[in-house]
Amino acid sequence: MHATSKLRWSPALAALLAVACSDPAPPTVTPDAGVTPPPATVTFNAPAPVLRRLTQAQYVHAVHDLLGEDLLVSRPMEPDVPLNGSISVGAASTSLSPRGVEQYEALAYDLAEQLLRNDARRARVLTCTPTATVDATCAESFVRATGRRLWRRPLTAAETAALVTLAGNAATTLNDFHRGLEFALSAMLQSPHFLFRTELAEPAVGAEPARFSLYSLAGRLAFFLWNSPPDDALLAAAEDGSLGTDDGLRAQVARMSASPRLARGLRAFVTEWLGLQRLDAVSKDPMVFTSFSSDVPAAAREETLSLAEHLALSRDVDFREFVTTRETFVNRRLASIYNVRAPSELRPDGFGLVTLPETSPRRGLLGHVSILALAAHPTSTSPTLRGKFIREALLCNEIPMPPVSVNTALPEPSPSLRTMRERLQRHQADPTCNSCHALLDPIGLALEHFNGIGTWRPNDQGAPIDASGSLDRVTYRDALGLSQAIHDAPAFPRCITTRLYRFAYGRHEGDGEEAEIGRLSQDFAYGGYRLRRLMSSIATSAAFRRADGGTP
Amino acid sequence: MKTRIHRRTLLKGLLGGAAISIALPPLEAFINANGTAYAGGGTSFPKRFGVFFWGNGVLPARWDPTAEGADYALTPQLMPLAALKSDLTVISGTRVLTTNSSPHLSGPAGLFTGDALRGGTVTRPSIDQVIAQELGGETRFRSLEIGVQRSNESYSFAGPNQVNPPETSPRALFNRLFGEGFRMPGEMTVADPRVGLRRSVLDAVGGQATDLRNRLGAADRVRLEQHLEGVRGLERQIARLEENPPNLAACRRPEMPAEEFPDVDGRRPMSAISRAMSDLMAMALACDQTRVFFNMYSQSVNNTLFPGAPAGHHQLTHDEPGEQPMVDAIVRLIMGDLAYFLTALRNVQEGDGNLLQHSIVLATTDCSYGKSHSIDDYPVLLAGTGGGSIATGRHIAARGENSSKVMLSVLRAMGVRAPEFGVGAGRTTDGLAALAP
Repeated sequence: MHATSKLRWSPALAALLAVACSDPAPPTVTPDAGVTPPPATVTFNAPAPVLRRLTQAQYVHAVHDLLGEDLLVSRPMEPDVPLNGSISVGAASTSLSPRGVEQYEALAYDLAEQLLRNDARRARVLTCTPTATVDATCAESFVRATGRRLWRRPLTAAETAALVTLAGNAATTLNDFHRGLEFALSAMLQSPHFLFRTELAEPAVGAEPARFSLYSLAGRLAFFLWNSPPDDALLAAAEDGSLGTDDGLRAQVARMSASPRLARGLRAFVTEWLGLQRLDAVSKDPMVFTSFSSDVPAAAREETLSLAEHLALSRDVDFREFVTTRETFVNRRLASIYNVRAPSELRPDGFGLVTLPETSPRRGLLGHVSILALAAHPTSTSPTLRGKFIREALLCNEIPMPPVSVNTALPEPSPSLRTMRERLQRHQADPTCNSCHALLDPIGLALEHFNGIGTWRPNDQGAPIDASGSLDRVTYRDALGLSQAIHDAPAFPRCITTRLYRFAYGRHEGDGEEAEIGRLSQDFAYGGYRLRRLMSSIATSAAFRRADGGTP
Repeated sequence: MKTRIHRRTLLKGLLGGAAISIALPPLEAFINANGTAYAGGGTSFPKRFGVFFWGNGVLPARWDPTAEGADYALTPQLMPLAALKSDLTVISGTRVLTTNSSPHLSGPAGLFTGDALRGGTVTRPSIDQVIAQELGGETRFRSLEIGVQRSNESYSFAGPNQVNPPETSPRALFNRLFGEGFRMPGEMTVADPRVGLRRSVLDAVGGQATDLRNRLGAADRVRLEQHLEGVRGLERQIARLEENPPNLAACRRPEMPAEEFPDVDGRRPMSAISRAMSDLMAMALACDQTRVFFNMYSQSVNNTLFPGAPAGHHQLTHDEPGEQPMVDAIVRLIMGDLAYFLTALRNVQEGDGNLLQHSIVLATTDCSYGKSHSIDDYPVLLAGTGGGSIATGRHIAARGENSSKVMLSVLRAMGVRAPEFGVGAGRTTDGLAALAP
């Protein structure tokens, strides 16, 4: 019920879309010379901030960063719920199910025991030695320090007192100071202050727009850039007020951008942008695709994430190369699917960087197993799903739902209709289908040389494949040409900006926010389409600090 | 059910902190003399409600019976349910009248909530959660959501965007139901001091949430309230640990299912998992661990590879030409798994009757004809009578009737005092008259 377009079907809308897609507005900027710098700010009214639930990855990062890398988060937890394809938007719209509450309780006790029943680990979070079974002073120092990190702000006196009392009661009952702390820690981990990100506005001063409190801003920055909670330095910058100054904010963002944790933020973004979490559930018929073993989906995801990290962070180059580069990352399994020699230098996880040969028909994202397998059926390709992926994820076109009550059957392969292109003629000939499928199938057919798991093939049912077509009036001969056309389309970097904006803000942009996305998109072009820079631009923008809607 | 004896005070402190189970002498006379109710309270057996949902519809020409009433002939797709015919009400012809804007999603939203999708989600709780409000307070779990296909999606909604994700691992369901925290009738757990501490932690968590609530906007308050509802549910579960377990003769701890159900030929063994889940759910109900469930066999648009099928289920519903024999075989396979589930409920004796009779199971899907996404002539089965609250053993041809009428009848049969069901085009103030017993 979630991953649904908000558009309702109507022929008029489809006609509008078709026009919009085939006749794109001229680019306002070009990547080469003469790119105008963007304005520093644009004016718009942002909606009120909302609670955001920690995603599974954010929960795990919080545990590892705040309590220790060596704690195992090995129990199930509430699944992330993508809304309109976005995990961050889902996290801003959903709550916890009763089962989720149970799961987080079990996890909380599990983690509290792992941390506090081991002397070395306990020493990381407990700096005092208790003088008695109930030692309120020592308990309070633990609650203050650990609570501030877990709740991403200092605890109030009342909150501290309640947790110290809880620890004391538990210590008395169990006759053990440290067991008492387990219950206080467990309460902190089950708290909505931990499981939800509360973003609160400071009261507006004069004509100034309302801004987030500095602790709220610290959380926004850390979860956006790192997909993790604030570290001590960031909380300190909130506490001493330096985060509230332009220089202080820029310094923190620069520090965070230089941290290896930036890769977490990037990976979380790419995962939701491309829907890579769906690889967990991808199903392929092993009778049809004999090389598709159960380890392929995870490997395919790692390839795509590694390449994004490589281009955006390690090389820090024009990110549009994501769809055209000959570089990629493979392990032995993917190397055999791609028919390339596995690299001699492998990372500990078995992956290594390869450059595909000049003659390779495979380049960039649209040659990845991840995308080719996801946008396909269990036993075959699907030009429609592949076209839909390109339109929605790479160009941000919104495709309406298919109409109801139409005959959707495709003819079976036959001597007269051998290839998928021939069978799909029906979509183009029938006016009910055509209005949308004209946007989808032709570009999806460019990838027909890659079967349902992404293995290259010269023929379909013994007939040669025609992969030519056009993307919004730019013609191409094959998948490489399509990828180049996407690379060159102004809609592509604008779409990356839009998707990163949604990831950062946890919402679909409203009417007024188009202007801010336009500004950021211009900045992206101005900076040579470097994704690292775009992340920083969002993080340091005036809009990211503003909390117009305020809270009652 | 109201006769819980608080014996924890008797045993408290006897045996340190460890949780130790002691078998107490079985309580005599579970049932009253005429076998229709518990002894003592004089209340009848609890009513249970659940949904069995599968994705991608049916083939209406091979689903809908022709003759009406008790003397109808089972159609090919209903044939796997032949042994349950007398427990079954087949309702054909109803229509989901809310907007059909989203193939596969508008149907279940309209059926289970009586309203169209808005903003990609439902506007109100699904029928199982409405009933859980009424029936769920007594039991350890307010409701249970399970599934067979591995998925985090469901149509069990506590409210807009608030999905209750299904448990799809039989072992995980077993652990949740029959692991730590479960006690057989007559079995008593000695008070564990940690139990009381867990409750005080949850009290503290609830208090923190109350502080937060006053600083939130309206929508976030609803979301926080949802979280608090879960916290209170967990408190209720823990409270049950300190009370006598429900006193039900048919309750026993089931066999622990296998940890893994490995794929067979790259296909999830749907039937094997469904059957393991069915056995567990039957005992969950027999042991009164819950009275409401949502069993999501497979989700809308699922592309499950069924045994022998040359393509995924959803793809076949659209691409298979002709009379779609492979789609037909899949629907019949699913009905076979439904039959197993209903039989597992029927095999639980309760007094003179059985668990299925005391339940209403609503079995349905996401559209009528998968190929066209039609939500006219919606396929709806009801199994059981809810303790004699609805008629059974019949085919009701309710051509053109609002599907909400069926939902309202079910709500009322479950004891929910509902003046109406649905909004807008989906609204009704009348049940389906033919369902009256």
